[in-house]
Amino acid sequence: MRKAIAIIISVAVFVILAYFFVTSSAPINYTTGGDYVNPINDHQANQSVPQQYLNDSRKDTGSQNVVTAIVVEYRGFDTLGEVTVLFTAATGLAILLGEYKRRIEKAVEPNFVTQVATVIILPFIVIVGAYIFIHGHLTPGGGFPGGAIIASGFLLLLLVETNRGLPEKKLSITESLAGMSYALIGLLGLVLANEFLENYLPTGIFGTVFSAGIIPLIYIAIGFKVGSELGGILHNIKGVHEE
Amino acid sequence: MVSLPPVLLIAFPLFFAFLAPLINMVSKKAVKYYTMAVLLLNTAISLIIFLNVLEHGVIYEELSGFYPPVGILLSVGYLGAILALLINALAPIVYLSYFGDAENSVKFSMIYMLVTASSTGIVITGDLFNMFVFFEITAVGSYGLVASMRTKKAYEGAFKYIVLGTIGSSFILLGIATIYGYLKTLNFYDIAARINTMPESARLMSFIFLIIGIGVEAELFPLNGWVPDAYEGASNRVAAFFSLGPSKAGIYAIARLLFTLVPLVKGFNLAMLLGLLTLVIGELAALRQKDPKRMLAYSSIGQMGLILVAFSMHSALAFTAAIFLMVSHALAKSLLFLGTRGYKEGVLRNPWVAGPIFIGVLSIIGMPPFPGFWGKWYLLVNMAQRGFWAVILLIIFAAIVEGVYYARFLHRGTEGEESKVLTRSEIAAITILALILVLVGMFPQYLYTPAVKAAAALMGGGP
Repeated sequence: MRKAIAIIISVAVFVILAYFFVTSSAPINYTTGGDYVNPINDHQANQSVPQQYLNDSRKDTGSQNVVTAIVVEYRGFDTLGEVTVLFTAATGLAILLGEYKRRIEKAVEPNFVTQVATVIILPFIVIVGAYIFIHGHLTPGGGFPGGAIIASGFLLLLLVETNRGLPEKKLSITESLAGMSYALIGLLGLVLANEFLENYLPTGIFGTVFSAGIIPLIYIAIGFKVGSELGGILHNIKGVHEE
Repeated sequence: MVSLPPVLLIAFPLFFAFLAPLINMVSKKAVKYYTMAVLLLNTAISLIIFLNVLEHGVIYEELSGFYPPVGILLSVGYLGAILALLINALAPIVYLSYFGDAENSVKFSMIYMLVTASSTGIVITGDLFNMFVFFEITAVGSYGLVASMRTKKAYEGAFKYIVLGTIGSSFILLGIATIYGYLKTLNFYDIAARINTMPESARLMSFIFLIIGIGVEAELFPLNGWVPDAYEGASNRVAAFFSLGPSKAGIYAIARLLFTLVPLVKGFNLAMLLGLLTLVIGELAALRQKDPKRMLAYSSIGQMGLILVAFSMHSALAFTAAIFLMVSHALAKSLLFLGTRGYKEGVLRNPWVAGPIFIGVLSIIGMPPFPGFWGKWYLLVNMAQRGFWAVILLIIFAAIVEGVYYARFLHRGTEGEESKVLTRSEIAAITILALILVLVGMFPQYLYTPAVKAAAALMGGGP
């Protein structure tokens, strides 16, 4: 029964996506047509690429943080690749460690101060992490540091809760959903705008939270993904494996 | 005809690899069918893109909607289209051989999809840093695939691969930094147009950094210490997958470096030297091996050297030869790696195993009418025309060595009682690969036409 449902769901996802992308009018630039100009033949080539980022990022992306504009918009495809590198590394680590039976050794009983402080600090850690990745287009930081901060909260939890690991299944679901939403935000660009990862949302008022189009959405997805992924890695390296 | 944006070749497997853990939670058995469906979808997309390229020429795609040197450019030329089709068409065939196994974890399937996508990404990208990112995904995924056997040998191979691969990646990054520091650009064609404004010493330095870094992945001579151990430690299917995916992507990157990015006379001379060393040392080392997997691994190294020699001839005919050699190597080596799981006496008594393995061996040592023959033939004709007699002698010497150890390998398999090792799905996979080898060998014109166009494009410094 479950198998049948899985097959039906996957076939349906395939058909819907295939239909979307075959019927969408994604333009393709061939050598003869298209708007690709050899940079050497073009006046803009005199302006170097870094200069162009500094001059045009506000107009192009509406992001106050130029680094974020470069990471998520101009070179967004590379960032998708970097997220995948982390995902691949975590998966490889899980192949090595995750399928062994592990015994959690209770080495030292965490002291009272740590236990109480963790309960107090943990919500603040999560809030700071979320703040950093939600404001990635306004202030320094972004999805990767924000996710890492949330993962440090997980580490604290592991130190206190010596008997249990982290909720591995929930982390895995979060990771999958976050990764899929990043890829989907990119693929929607093909349907709603012209290109993969192209911005299709209004850029809003410069310098406010609801601005810069798809950048905050992507950074939120990255934040969730990095946080749950690093949490999964911490879960995997906890304990001593027994043969 | 429908035209599809090439980015789907990368975006779809990424999306479906992220989805795979959820499928696994619903049903564990469905994962392998799901992975197969994803790989077949990619095959269809790459076929459509290949036909589009044949019809209209190069496809450019400006990702994120920004103008090329500012944004990332994907450029699928003839060579990229041929290799993308090769990688994506063979990945499901090699994956087919897993179907008989009960043990097939979802994590393995995820990494398999990701490495297929990233190897494809290397051959279709038009941006240097983007290529580096895909190299990272390929390398990190490959460490996991090697270690997934969980034996001591697998850990040894994976550890050597991690050390060399990480050092290699750092060198690629240094090379990219050198180029970016001078030219302030990462786009291939922008770099190619302005590379001559860099001082000679800086050009040479970035060339050396990049060839050291990429050479690790492309299995070139002083940098390939990981190859025999990793191939021996990995399962046969993973070794088969390596010979069609990551190693092809690596050798493509070497061609891109030699012809487009930093075209230097010294670079071609160095490539010729490295190629000959890789060829001769690889073949001689293979002669001494007793374990069939190690022998095939060293033979792979030798083949990579031959392909590099063909690149460094810097002529359209030799480049066409290199494309035939790449196709032959991808098909025949993955066939041989799949077919030699648990190789022992009497395996070749079974005609369904012996037939495909014979075809694979014949193509590797260059017998007509298989693609390996066409590759070596075009290469030797080109060398004879230009009077490279010493190199011809070396290549013939290497071919004789190759013939000797493959004859020994076949002889060992045909002795004794018949023994059955391979599962039915593995035999199906090697039969399909052998059929493709025969078809490509009998009708070389269908590969020759796009290969000549690819060679002409590369010679002209284009995609």
